[in-house]
Amino acid sequence: MEILELKNVSKRFGTLEVINDLSFSVPEHSVFGFIGKNGAGKTTTMKMILGFLAADQGEIRVLGEKVSYGNTKTNRHIGYLPDVPEFYGYMSPREYLRLCGEVSGLNKDRIVDRTNELLPLVGLDGVNRRIRSFSRGMKQRLGIAQALLGEPKLLICDEPTSALDPVGRKEILDILSLAKARTTIIFSTHILSDVERICDSIGMLHQGKLVVQGSVTEIKNSYSTDVIRLEVGAECQTDQISKELKQMNFISRIVINENKIDIQMTNAEQYGMNILAYFVEKKIPVLKYELLEPSLENVFLEVVG
Amino acid sequence: MRGFYAFIKKEFLEQIRTFRLWILLAVAVLFGMMSPLMAKLMPEILSSMNMEGMVIQIPEPTVYDAYTQFFKNFTQMGTLVILLIFGGTLSGELSKGTLINLLAKGLPRRTVLLSKYVAAVIIWTVAYALAFVTNYGYTVYLFPETDVKNLFFSLFCLWIFVCFVISLIMLSSTIAPGSFGGLILSAGALVVMLMVSIIPKAEKFNPITLASVNVALLEGTKSVSGLTLTVSITILLILGSLIASILIFEKKKL
Repeated sequence: MEILELKNVSKRFGTLEVINDLSFSVPEHSVFGFIGKNGAGKTTTMKMILGFLAADQGEIRVLGEKVSYGNTKTNRHIGYLPDVPEFYGYMSPREYLRLCGEVSGLNKDRIVDRTNELLPLVGLDGVNRRIRSFSRGMKQRLGIAQALLGEPKLLICDEPTSALDPVGRKEILDILSLAKARTTIIFSTHILSDVERICDSIGMLHQGKLVVQGSVTEIKNSYSTDVIRLEVGAECQTDQISKELKQMNFISRIVINENKIDIQMTNAEQYGMNILAYFVEKKIPVLKYELLEPSLENVFLEVVG
Repeated sequence: MRGFYAFIKKEFLEQIRTFRLWILLAVAVLFGMMSPLMAKLMPEILSSMNMEGMVIQIPEPTVYDAYTQFFKNFTQMGTLVILLIFGGTLSGELSKGTLINLLAKGLPRRTVLLSKYVAAVIIWTVAYALAFVTNYGYTVYLFPETDVKNLFFSLFCLWIFVCFVISLIMLSSTIAPGSFGGLILSAGALVVMLMVSIIPKAEKFNPITLASVNVALLEGTKSVSGLTLTVSITILLILGSLIASILIFEKKKL
């Protein structure tokens, strides 16, 4: 069953078209990475799913129920982690979770049980300080705890790792990996390594549309072109080499970084020989020949760039 | 309903932990105590000053002077304190984004608004009652004659006026942006009402009248029946403000 479904959704702010005829769906028990540049419309899309913003056109369904602008009943299925979650600074984490539990209509015992489960999960067990004194990472982790409190069918995380240091990021990703077993996660980000770590499927948002959608491995294999990295002797004329290589019609792009030459091409296994042959013929010393792993970053740059 | 209770509880906790409740209660006790004391002591303070031969004739202070002070303090400083304490209750949360987490859990927006209103009215009522009890104690102690007319109705008029001010804050907060939007807009609305109150014909329809006739009621120069229209209009305005603020809030972009 589809947990979330967007059909032909459009949104403009004044004359600026942010989302343009966007359609996609997220199946149950998957982690969907929602990728896009800053300002691509990721947060806008999420706010529309939560009914905080009105879609100009199209419809959004959560578990088959239509999302309505303003007060939407569909929010009872959703846990939301905003990009910078804000809390009442005068409360302790436990008090805050109790408020969240009461607001979502959980009974007392359930709130205590869930709090006792979630605080250790997010590493805030035994932290009885007021939230005011929390670091950004701690707030982000408490944000996940509050989002998971009501055992939502759908967890929406808006750039949960963007503002954190590497340790904080790893912690958040670990928590999300654990949460994955119980819920469906939509996770917006522009950090592609995070996506590769936890997402099953991804969608890349560009100019208001989903330009790429599918499973991570599928996309990597079908979209990314192969890259061969050659390291040549320091005294070589890399500019000259680049110029001559560009004559070959299977090469799409060449990037030179000091004595490293990245050659993008359609089929490295077949045409790699031609490149090596060129180097042998010109008697250019090759220190290293490497076939780079396809990465989402290349796909992203190709699609968005 | 559970969301309503939970949110009211949160409101009280907020007022307590951010010290706003204590400030309000302290001000209330201070006003209650100061009003009769100032009325009693003012003539003595004035006479003790060296006026270089000028003689000021001051009649013996009465219980009316005490109440005049009390109502003056509350309509001016009291309203200001209420504006400052509750002015940011919704605006602040909207601009900071603290409501997002709770609204995303399906807490209805009207529950947020109504529980904020009810919590503010309860806190105001407690502070006002405390002020009056203090004031009453001192008045009885300091003045031999304490009989006044329409005391409870007069108190009620000011109470309902401040309830109206709080509903105005709610409405302003849903209309004006920024953390001080609610405060500035409702203060502006009050200033307009104050200016309109100069026109005698508008008096009956202006809620601000309820904060200016209090002593006249005690003296008996104004009658209760003469104010029923104003009270009814104010109650209607409170309901109108609340309904309008709910309607605007439900459709507000977050």
